[in-house]
Amino acid sequence: MTITTLIPLPIANPLIAAAFIALTGNWIGRRASDSIAIASAGANLIFALLILRGTWYHPYVYWFGNWWPRSNNVVLGICFSIDAIGAALAVLVSLLTTAALIFSWKIFNDTENHLQPLMLIFMAAMCGFSYTGDLFNLFVFFELMSVSAFALCGLKTLEPAPLQGAFNFAVVNTIGAFMILIGIGLLYARTGALNFAEVGRSLGTRSDALVLVAFLLISVGYFAKAAIVPFHFWLADAHSVAPTPVCVLFSGIMVELGIYAVARIYWTIFRAPLASHAPELRNILLVIAAVTSLLGGFMCYVEHHLKRLLAFSTISHAGLMLAGVGLLTSKALAGFVIYVLSHGLIKGGLFLCAGIILHRLQKIGESHLHGRGRGMWFTASLFILGAMGLAASGPFGTLLGENMISEAAKEVGQGWFAYIFMFVEIVTGAAVLRATFRIFFGWGKPAPTDKSSQVDEAPETKQGGGTPALMFLPAAALILLGICISGMPQLRSIAHANAELFINQTSYASSVLNNLQLAAPEPIESGPLTASIIRCLTAGLLAFLMAFATVFRDRLGMALSFTRRLELGNSLLRQVHSGHPGDYVAWLTFGTALLGGVFVWFLR
Amino acid sequence: MILAHVPYFVAAWIFLWGLYGIVTSKNLVHQVICLAIVQTSTYVLLLAVGFKTGGTAPVFADIPVGTVVVDPLVQALMLTDVVVEATVMALLLSMVVKANELVGTIDPEELKIMQG
Amino acid sequence: MSPRTRTQLFLISALGLATIFTWGFRNLPPIGDYRGPYGNLISQVAVYERHTTDVVNSINYDYRACDTLGEEFILFASVLGVLLIFRPSTSSNEARNNQKNKSEKRQPWVEDQLPVSDSLRVGMMAMAGLMIVFGVYIVVHGQLTPGGGFQGGVILSSVPLVVYLSGNVKAFDRIVSASSIKFAECCGAAAYAIIGISALFFGTHFLTNIVPLGATGDPFSSGTIAIISICVGLEVSGAFVVLMEVYLREVIDERLGKKS
Repeated sequence: MTITTLIPLPIANPLIAAAFIALTGNWIGRRASDSIAIASAGANLIFALLILRGTWYHPYVYWFGNWWPRSNNVVLGICFSIDAIGAALAVLVSLLTTAALIFSWKIFNDTENHLQPLMLIFMAAMCGFSYTGDLFNLFVFFELMSVSAFALCGLKTLEPAPLQGAFNFAVVNTIGAFMILIGIGLLYARTGALNFAEVGRSLGTRSDALVLVAFLLISVGYFAKAAIVPFHFWLADAHSVAPTPVCVLFSGIMVELGIYAVARIYWTIFRAPLASHAPELRNILLVIAAVTSLLGGFMCYVEHHLKRLLAFSTISHAGLMLAGVGLLTSKALAGFVIYVLSHGLIKGGLFLCAGIILHRLQKIGESHLHGRGRGMWFTASLFILGAMGLAASGPFGTLLGENMISEAAKEVGQGWFAYIFMFVEIVTGAAVLRATFRIFFGWGKPAPTDKSSQVDEAPETKQGGGTPALMFLPAAALILLGICISGMPQLRSIAHANAELFINQTSYASSVLNNLQLAAPEPIESGPLTASIIRCLTAGLLAFLMAFATVFRDRLGMALSFTRRLELGNSLLRQVHSGHPGDYVAWLTFGTALLGGVFVWFLR
Repeated sequence: MILAHVPYFVAAWIFLWGLYGIVTSKNLVHQVICLAIVQTSTYVLLLAVGFKTGGTAPVFADIPVGTVVVDPLVQALMLTDVVVEATVMALLLSMVVKANELVGTIDPEELKIMQG
Repeated sequence: MSPRTRTQLFLISALGLATIFTWGFRNLPPIGDYRGPYGNLISQVAVYERHTTDVVNSINYDYRACDTLGEEFILFASVLGVLLIFRPSTSSNEARNNQKNKSEKRQPWVEDQLPVSDSLRVGMMAMAGLMIVFGVYIVVHGQLTPGGGFQGGVILSSVPLVVYLSGNVKAFDRIVSASSIKFAECCGAAAYAIIGISALFFGTHFLTNIVPLGATGDPFSSGTIAIISICVGLEVSGAFVVLMEVYLREVIDERLGKKS
């Protein structure tokens, strides 16, 4: 069985398994359905790993239905064009889904047989999303991903908050999807094609209003999925109400795929028309990334609902990942890929740990949990490791990602972004550490209560004695993998080489349209890590200090009152995150118009 | 000539009008219907893009191959989208129905449980 | 934000967005001037390559079959989501019982026939049979004339609704509660992917049309296009009937006097 035969399996295998479980779940019982789902996800992981190993040597182009491009380079079929980056993302998808399904073995006794099929369909959609080389196919997998996400988000129907969160999520994402479809329609009108390579070739280098508006709409649609400010409002609502295994997938990979889509579409289609304005575009994207990181970090620190806190930290890190793409160089793109992989693993592990807390202590608000986690040493250590991973201060993959993105920023003269990085590391690390100190060690006074942390989550399980191994092992495995990924030899060099291949529009078009087989990319030398290590260790130290200061502020005296003000947060900012779908849509329109205005002004 | 681009402007108009409906709505069911309206704007745009003057339907059961037909691709994209949209709206409406069952209201202002 | 601020923010942004759309859409080719290579090429080759006269369906189920697989599963996932959200749980039962106790004063409708006029009843019963035949015709002839799985499935799924409108709630309940509906839906969904995988066993790529193509114009032509169309028809009709059942379950139970 060659690699080529395996390529459609990560999509087809979960879909068939999902239909089977939906049909027979009532007869074969809960355990059998769970086992089939875990087996299917595990098989997907094996297929994805084999495909990744295959793409190590050269990228694959797979034509569905055997519809190869015609002699005049017109494409009638759909292709999957898989390079190492797409394959790595699919591996992350499968890994996180397997961990989430193992975690959910013990929970959700009343969902009959509908949870596992939805998770499997979600996984299939995300794998297809990472592999595809066709605009409308990308959109279809985006819709499939979104719909299963809406359904999974609204799973807990015993209280109204999940339904509201799922509804807000659905409205914002669906409007984003419609914008993407209009953008695809515009590109189709201009080029008459839907394949990335063919559209890129037909579009040529001429940039006019149509190209800019198409780029605006497609970017906004995917940014809405990627929770970039001001399209980010849905993420916190969705995370605070979705069940834990589902949050793992949302934060771990779904959000990052939005940014990946923009990168793929930019480098295969829009690079040539926008080439003359690349520096301006870079600045625009960096500003958006900085605003997202700052806002996300600030809101992360003022939250006391554990899952909402982690959700805002995802928004903050999404800003960093957008910078990796927005710097428009191969080094930054390599940093983006490494950061996605390691952040996904660490954030997934942290969400599973939050799920363990919900299982053991039956609550998720920091104020209610004060000191009640004493004795849960393993979970506490995972939390601390996770916080250090978010702060990139240690042998985590996030350190390597930070190194590449900051170095790339310095190379294009935007070295100030390294400070944004440090801010995010400090604030998000400190938030998780603060929660750990309060919950697991019981230090300091209980956290101030606020409206969102009072909306407590219904426990997903009956209260258990110890932490079940099936919950603990996936959490530990994910966080440890986030550490091990940094140990991979020459990770940065290989990532940089593959990123060079990613951004090469002409070689992509030749490999897809002319069936040119590309050679394996040569690893590119990567620079020293010292500057990054110094920055990140400083950030980690400051994160510890900030967490200490917040927790012990009464004992340390009110000279540090700014932490209290910081924690209570700007009430205006909190009010803006209001939970009303009309608000979110108004901000979405505002963001689109603003971004459109900026594009028109700078990129014409 | 501006007249030749009217269908595209109509699509843009419907899009913005549907968004206005969502923003100013006081009823979650109304918001879902407005979302469906926003989707119809994408249909109008795509079908307008594929139109060919003097072209007929791309079905060659009774006409010879080679007659001028409109673009079949956009129609293929649309026909699946229409059916799928109905079920996605059904999913959203089920959330609204369930929320009403639990809280007793479908006014988003009163339903703002998750602030901050 | 207050409703006024929200509306003001939106109106300003919408104005900006409208300007941007106008500025961008001006550069589209004028209506009627379709230039792209895709439509022209496929209208010329689809009939010969796939022995099908309906080019739109040949795109849907053959050239771009992967997209349709995804769309079909969006439908499947939405229905699963609706079933998930409406699943019976203790607290929702309590809420429903509370609401029922409040409206206990109302006359209970323990009759399995809605009070409809005779003409409606007879007309709808006649329609039901006709619609089944028409729906099956549309599904099976997708490769020859406009139609196919999606459209035919929707027509078939409105047959139970017609039965309900004819007033016969008991018959409606029997139709929509049949376990074969769920069976048809799941099998239709899985069959599409299995047909795709079967192509792998013949050594070609996923979703290749491996069945003999037959003669153009024949109902049994165009290979897997017809087969996939039928599977999609099963799935779509099953999905919509399941949706109907879930939404109308409470009403049916009340009308038939069953305890919920």
